[in-house]
Amino acid sequence: MRSRTIAAAAAFGLLALTGCGAADMTKQSSPYADAHGAKTVTLSVQSWVGAQANAAVAQYLLNHELGYRVDTVQIDEVPAWDALSQGRVDAILEDWGHPEQEQRYVADKKTIAPGGELGVTGHIGWFVPKYFADTNPDVTDWKNLDKYADRLRTAESGGKGQLLDGSPSYVTNDKALVKNLGLDYQVVFSGSEAAQITQIKQFAKEKKPFLTYWYKPQWLFEQVPMTEVKLPAYEEGCDADPEKVACAYPHTPLRKFLNARFADAGGPAAEFLKNFHWTTGDQNEVALMIADQKLSPEQAAERWAKKNESTWRAWLPK
Amino acid sequence: MNTEPPVFSVRELWKVFGPKADRVPKDPALAALGPAELRRRTGCTAAVRDVSFDVRKGEVFVVMGLSGSGKSTLVRCLTRLIEPTSGSIAMDGEDVLSMDTARLRELRRHRAAMVFQHFGLLPHRSVIDNVAYGLEIQGVPRAERRERAAEFVTKVGLEGMEHRRPEQLSGGQQQRVGLARALAVDPEVLLFDEPFSALDPLIRRDMQEEVVRLHGEEGRTMVFITHDLGEALKLGDRIALMRDGRIVQLGTPEEIVGAPADDYVRDFVRDVPREQVMTVRTAMRPAEAAEADSGPALGPDATVHEAIEAVVRSGGTARVVENGRCVGVVGHADLLGVVAGLAPRKEAA
Amino acid sequence: MSISTATTGSGSTAGTEAGAPPLRTRPRDALARHRTALVAGAALLALLLGTLLLGGGTWPARLAVDLSGPLGHASDWIIDNRDSHPLFLYFFGHISNAVVLSVRAVYLVLLAAGWAGVTTAAGLVAWRVAGIRPALTAVAAFAVCGLLGMWVPTMQTLALMAVAVTASVLLGALLGLAAGLSDRVHRALRPVLDTMQVLPAFAYLLPVVLVFGIGVPAAVLATVVYAAPPMARLTALGLRGADAGVMEAAASLGATGRQRLLTARLPLARKELLLGVNQSIMMALSMAVIASVIGAGGLGDRVYQALASVDVGAALAAGVPVVLLAVVLDRVTAAAGERIGAGPSRRTGRGWAVAAAGTVAVAVVGRYTGRLSWPDAWTVDIAASVNRVVDWMTAHLYSGVPVVGGTADWAARFTTWILDPVRDGLQWLPWWTVLLLVAVLAQLIGTWRTALTAVLAMAAIGVLGKWEPALDTLSQVLAAVAVTLLAGVATGVAAARSPRLERLLRPVLDVFQTMPQFVYLIPVVALFGVGRAPAVAAAVVYALPAVVRITTQGMRAVDPVVMESSRSLGATGWQQLRQVQLPLARPALLLAVNQGVVLVLAVVIIGGLVGGGALGYDVVFGLAQGDLATGLVAGAAIVCLGLMLDRVTQPAGKETRDA
Repeated sequence: MRSRTIAAAAAFGLLALTGCGAADMTKQSSPYADAHGAKTVTLSVQSWVGAQANAAVAQYLLNHELGYRVDTVQIDEVPAWDALSQGRVDAILEDWGHPEQEQRYVADKKTIAPGGELGVTGHIGWFVPKYFADTNPDVTDWKNLDKYADRLRTAESGGKGQLLDGSPSYVTNDKALVKNLGLDYQVVFSGSEAAQITQIKQFAKEKKPFLTYWYKPQWLFEQVPMTEVKLPAYEEGCDADPEKVACAYPHTPLRKFLNARFADAGGPAAEFLKNFHWTTGDQNEVALMIADQKLSPEQAAERWAKKNESTWRAWLPK
Repeated sequence: MNTEPPVFSVRELWKVFGPKADRVPKDPALAALGPAELRRRTGCTAAVRDVSFDVRKGEVFVVMGLSGSGKSTLVRCLTRLIEPTSGSIAMDGEDVLSMDTARLRELRRHRAAMVFQHFGLLPHRSVIDNVAYGLEIQGVPRAERRERAAEFVTKVGLEGMEHRRPEQLSGGQQQRVGLARALAVDPEVLLFDEPFSALDPLIRRDMQEEVVRLHGEEGRTMVFITHDLGEALKLGDRIALMRDGRIVQLGTPEEIVGAPADDYVRDFVRDVPREQVMTVRTAMRPAEAAEADSGPALGPDATVHEAIEAVVRSGGTARVVENGRCVGVVGHADLLGVVAGLAPRKEAA
Repeated sequence: MSISTATTGSGSTAGTEAGAPPLRTRPRDALARHRTALVAGAALLALLLGTLLLGGGTWPARLAVDLSGPLGHASDWIIDNRDSHPLFLYFFGHISNAVVLSVRAVYLVLLAAGWAGVTTAAGLVAWRVAGIRPALTAVAAFAVCGLLGMWVPTMQTLALMAVAVTASVLLGALLGLAAGLSDRVHRALRPVLDTMQVLPAFAYLLPVVLVFGIGVPAAVLATVVYAAPPMARLTALGLRGADAGVMEAAASLGATGRQRLLTARLPLARKELLLGVNQSIMMALSMAVIASVIGAGGLGDRVYQALASVDVGAALAAGVPVVLLAVVLDRVTAAAGERIGAGPSRRTGRGWAVAAAGTVAVAVVGRYTGRLSWPDAWTVDIAASVNRVVDWMTAHLYSGVPVVGGTADWAARFTTWILDPVRDGLQWLPWWTVLLLVAVLAQLIGTWRTALTAVLAMAAIGVLGKWEPALDTLSQVLAAVAVTLLAGVATGVAAARSPRLERLLRPVLDVFQTMPQFVYLIPVVALFGVGRAPAVAAAVVYALPAVVRITTQGMRAVDPVVMESSRSLGATGWQQLRQVQLPLARPALLLAVNQGVVLVLAVVIIGGLVGGGALGYDVVFGLAQGDLATGLVAGAAIVCLGLMLDRVTQPAGKETRDA
């Protein structure tokens, strides 16, 4: 038994020895453990594909144009703020508005610095498929929704119409909205975006009507065209009290945030990320390549970068 | 008769299991209760009750009794594998019960080694390492202990099996390993706890003979626990017969068989072939007239069985000769009387 | 066999327990009848009193405690003090650093050895400890990981696993040692371990994330907390079960306490220790994927990212290496356990030297030929074809299938006719009758003590203010358990009667038991839509293998003499099954129920990801929103639910979980 242990230890030691001079090898492969070397950037990628598109392009350019090594970590939105403040993540490229976190980390603790706008405007809303809106045009007004509750019923929503909601990490007022607008609907949480998308695609395949919480920009619109249902207009502050919300979601200019230390001392990478600014169309193009054509994020970013050099040239630090 | 000084000297030993066990020996009223009554009154069980005996140097001292008689507890008390409740134990005059841990460990390492009914071998070690285990515990260096262990492996007849694991051995072989392990530490006393009761009858006989042989060669003191009367009679120089924690009779095999102390013992020894156990010393009577000069001579420790053969051959009486002097004679009637279980007519002078 | 025990650590009892069916004597029977009457009487009385005094309705608000305030404060305090408080700077900080350093070290070693070196090392190690077949399996498994293009993530997961498993085994062994040697520690530790055994993996994530933040340290620590209990439990069991005769022999030779421990007690427990290592590895591996939610990286992250882009093929490509790692590690450790003590003790130093030399040689060759990373040209992309198959399947099964209807229709019917009535029924029941029901059930199956624990656990859910969602979750669990048992026992009985079927089933069961649940979430949604039905389906998929295994083992272990005698009396196969096998396999079947319940509950949170709602969704929500109050309270409610269900289904006098 003892000789066995010694042999195992020896084997391990030898293995370790061969590893000592192998620093260059590790650079080639994806660095795994959190490595804050001089030229490493860690980006937070949220679970939706639009965010993957941002990160993929930023990663590609940081890597090929500026010579950085880039780690990506998939984290939900709120925990990502926390990770950003701790420096485990250097940047979030697409934030949909988290006033509480912003107050805590940007204003109070000053561990996170704003990184400017992404150039994409995000909007959350209620959507019905276009094929349904085409035949029933009045469904796009919330006041008529009750009329269709019957047709939107599922086993899960019981006797009411189903409003399909998404991942728990997303900003949503839907429960309050349904209640405050007095709608005959039941919010069904799909629990993850993956589940929601799968369900929407299944409905679309059968041309079944459905009502869902969804957001723009989103690549799924290319596959399943959807029309927004008009809710009572958004006014500044109408969503202040989450219990009493009875208005539409705002149009949010999506913003970037950087770890404060990284923003100061991050060199060209920080500057590049501050400059990163593209359009909804750009993002959708990359997102669609990833989600629909099943390209790897890296391949998709490469294709986009080849085509749009003039766009990203402007982001590089002078 | 063995007159060496005692190795173990046990006095008024009690072992009581149960709540507040120590009050039982102290209180004469409780101490006098029978097992069932004691249990009912106190919830305690007295495994060993007021036991006293000496084990003399070089003898084989057998403790014999049925299961539950307390014999296994008794032998464990000798080295405090079970802590006695009260009484005293002395080994070579030294009080065992007052020994501190280190001294007690010393006793267990060098002075008394035990052989167990279920062998107690380490399943993950080879035969040789099992035999060397006691030496390892003493801190003997590896090479030396292996060398000494090899010697004892040979002594118990297991050469060639040094590197097997216990599970690859038969029961008898396993017990030889247990025996070798005990012998390897060269103890003053060997303690056997029903070592052969888990073995097949034939193997058991072999092992018993092995013990007889070892005892003959080395003359080591042995305390031997058994529930098998045949085994007790075969091996024991003296036998302590236990029942319900008490020693009901202590004596030589001949005394036990020839003069049972009570009905329990009498019942116990009823089927024993008496001619195998009883000696002519018991059977003889004083010589009459010419008898002291004629007939075949026998030692006083010859069994009746041997005497019958001699008497039948000679057709007359046989002389019992001790130190060249005729101490008595045995004839047909004397010998038949023993076999029939009649009390001897008179004690020899 | 040990895969079957991976998640709960008590599967190994199946064989032994079924082998020794309890022989009830007449007086005990009478006692049991008496007890049933007693319980019924007490229940009736309570029912009467309850109706008079308590009335109906859901758990009263005045008996609930709102913890969101204090928990929110705690969460804020941690976030505010994480970078300044000494506790974090000098304690957690160092732990975190140590974890990062060790994972990195292992990872670098693995990368430096290159794919050829790692594969060779795996093969040779497997060969030394387990024999030639496991060795071939190991080599094949690593090759497949490379072929799937998952080499680097596999190494990342392996590095994380190596550190996490080492830490769990050390921690578990230490705890087990303490519990094995001290009765007091054992008594104190056992309920804790029992509780941890029914904790779903997800529930560990939130507190760990709060302290350590997202990333590898949190993932490793969550894994350690999850994987250490089986090691502790089995170590304690092994030490406590040491052959008393051998221990006495060691004492009689004058061994000191230390000597007795090192030379006798520990070696005697080596089988249990190895089984503990085996279990720890399996638990750690299942956690490695779930921990991707908090930034574990590696294979889990690939699965998780594929899930985000609704790419079943990619998820499967990352899930298969997890399954392979599990199978290889399980086979190797299990075979090593069986080999221990078998065969003559022989000198193995040379074999190990050969193995080490071989590994080094291959690694060096790989290094100088520049082939350290898996060649891109050697990868096979299975994602596209898998997706086509899945698409075809969901397109054709989803709806409109003639006669039987599509899976979506089944799901709808299942929801409407089973899930809804059960949920509504449970929620309609006055709260105290639910407690009463729990008490009566636990009493009838178990003992007064288990009944008390069960009732307290259920009441705790009410106090936590999670009564309604907990009953919703309970309805899903009950439905899933019912389906699992129906399918599992039927399959298990069939497998017990046909060795060929069992052989066919074995790899399938292995795969389903070790496949990360994230992989099959999308197909499940594609088949059953969003809602509670797919959550139930996912739970059934996960719990089924263990139930099938335990049933098969139980049926197999029925005394062949009894079977023979019933055959000699001319019993038909069906009579044999009904009158002999099933009754005699009763302990195993009860164990199957218990395991089914615990495993189904373990997937409740995963069910929250596909629309299961209720408590599972709350935990996912808490994680996603960093909302400690919601997540922890829901997690605690799930734990209580688990405790309650476990106690209710735990047969009396059987220490089902203690083996």
